Amino acid sequence: MELFVERLLAGLTNGSVYALLALALVVVYRATGTLNFAQGELALFTTFVAWWLTTLDAPVWIAIVAALIVGFVLGAAIERLLIRPVQRKNDMAVLIVALGLFTGLNSLAGLLWNSETKIMPSPFPNGLEDYVSVGGARLYGDALGVWGALIVLVVLMTLLFRRTRIGLHMRAVAANPESAALAGVRTSRILMIGWGLSGAIGALAGVLVTPLAPEQLGLTTMFHIFIAASAAALFGGLDSLQGAVVGGITIGVLEAMLSGYVSFIGGELQQTSALLIIVAILFIRPNGLFGTARTVRV
Amino acid sequence: MTTTLPAPAKTRPAAATTRFTIVEGSWEHRGLRAAGIVVAALALLAASQLTSFRVGQFTSVFIMAIAIIGLNLVTGYTGLLSIGHSAFFGLGAYTTGVLIVQLEFAPLATIPIAMLLTFVLGLLVGLPSLRIHGLYLALVTLAVAVAFPEIVRRLEGLTGGAAGMVVRSRYLAPPEWTGLVRAQRGIWMFWLSAFVLVLVMLFARGLIRSRFGLMMRTVRDHEIAAAASGVGVARTKILVFGVSGAITGLAGALFTMYIGALSPDGSFTLLKSIELVTGLVLGGVATQFGPLIGAFAVVFLPYYTSSFTTGPLSGVLFGAVLIALCFLMPEGIAGRLGLLIRTVVTVLPPDHPALRER
Repeated sequence: MELFVERLLAGLTNGSVYALLALALVVVYRATGTLNFAQGELALFTTFVAWWLTTLDAPVWIAIVAALIVGFVLGAAIERLLIRPVQRKNDMAVLIVALGLFTGLNSLAGLLWNSETKIMPSPFPNGLEDYVSVGGARLYGDALGVWGALIVLVVLMTLLFRRTRIGLHMRAVAANPESAALAGVRTSRILMIGWGLSGAIGALAGVLVTPLAPEQLGLTTMFHIFIAASAAALFGGLDSLQGAVVGGITIGVLEAMLSGYVSFIGGELQQTSALLIIVAILFIRPNGLFGTARTVRV
Repeated sequence: MTTTLPAPAKTRPAAATTRFTIVEGSWEHRGLRAAGIVVAALALLAASQLTSFRVGQFTSVFIMAIAIIGLNLVTGYTGLLSIGHSAFFGLGAYTTGVLIVQLEFAPLATIPIAMLLTFVLGLLVGLPSLRIHGLYLALVTLAVAVAFPEIVRRLEGLTGGAAGMVVRSRYLAPPEWTGLVRAQRGIWMFWLSAFVLVLVMLFARGLIRSRFGLMMRTVRDHEIAAAASGVGVARTKILVFGVSGAITGLAGALFTMYIGALSPDGSFTLLKSIELVTGLVLGGVATQFGPLIGAFAVVFLPYYTSSFTTGPLSGVLFGAVLIALCFLMPEGIAGRLGLLIRTVVTVLPPDHPALRER
């Protein structure tokens, strides 16, 4: 029982991280209709920025805020300077630019701060004694912090999309860019804000996960998280916020349970098995669990 | 991905605007072709006389080119972005490796089996396209790319697991009928890869020009219109994935015979897929010679950049080159060369209307 609770908690924590990054992917998809392959590496890069600031004796919280700002600026700049010009040509070009960013940002981080593993301090209490006991299992402060961050973020995003003018405009652009533009929405600014927002969310995911990740902050840290997050976003249907959250947590828990209880899978096949399950789900529901089906015409 | 690609310019410039017009099948056309073949053969001969290090580099170019030709069929001609081709490459490589090491197969005899297995894997990857479209299909290929190294690590008894697998060089010696001794494996692999590359290029050329090739391009250019005109969209995609997988798997089999040592994290991760995509885009998507040019670029660019810098910078350059290409030369090197040549020479089929005017 204790072991079960422990695995469940670990799964929930990992799942919350996947959900955070999946939210970033969904925001981009809603704005631009593409999967941002570079989202994980963007988060990695901003996390390196945060780590670098902490080595300059900046307090963790300041470093995190700075990382969020860098993420926002980078995301917006990428949309404006790299994505928009090629998007007019075709969709494949967008994916290839994103692949270029994927390799480029990763290597740039390695070039600026070398490839050794870094220790990113956690913004939450995570000493050996900072835990609460749940059903016999220990729940540490930074895991609770990730859950809290996810909940706050989901509330804020829901408020943004449902209650503010910018959110309304973002939904309008997602639904129909041309009609939105005709109705007076400044489409290009909304797209930039969308990408910027996703850059900032990705940065948040990065700085929160690295203290928890087994390999700390290295050049490959975000890779697995990005794959799980894109699976989570697709699972939920790519354009649904609650779908991303449900997808992320499902994948986190599935991973923890499969690697814990199915001995053939063990610690080595968890990515494979999680992805296989998602492919199977897509087979039954091709637009994800919460996605809207799109009709097409000749 | 049902996306339109940076298609090679389809509009032929009118025959009158270019300086020379060559009719397909005429003696000039045949002569030029023969000259091209002679030049290529001479270049190969010259390359085979270089130092064994250079010969090895050329061998890896050829193997890479074969792998990229496989990718070109799916991504270039059918418009489905695959980031899973590292798995086909890896499955081909490991099939050959395992058969040689565990069952003492002759290296060449492993090739058909490697191609068969990668063909089946291709069908399996393509199978979801019955239901899944667009980005979702790219995720399936991503899943395959991520799963492959994990599965190799898991099947330790067969593959040597994370520690990797070494194929002893006595197994990889050139076959006796070549008259080459074991130490001449480099030159044997050079000619073998060159020969296979030529075969694969001819096969791809024939496939693209066939009825099936037309179906592939129709699916790429307009999936719904293709379906409306009676093209079995899902069937086409599944079959293309199979054929493409088999070709990339063939490249993997040659890779094992060339390199002799395999490890799951060495050449078979997602990064290999990105390398293949980079090579394809750089060389020219949906072109005949693009994969070869792209293979030269991805083998030699990191080699030359790493000679004056260290590791990560070549990754930055790779990324920057990939992005710059999308802006400056979306048709790739081969595509751009084709456009340049077309401003000077036009090749027309004998029944082209422009010829009748004269």
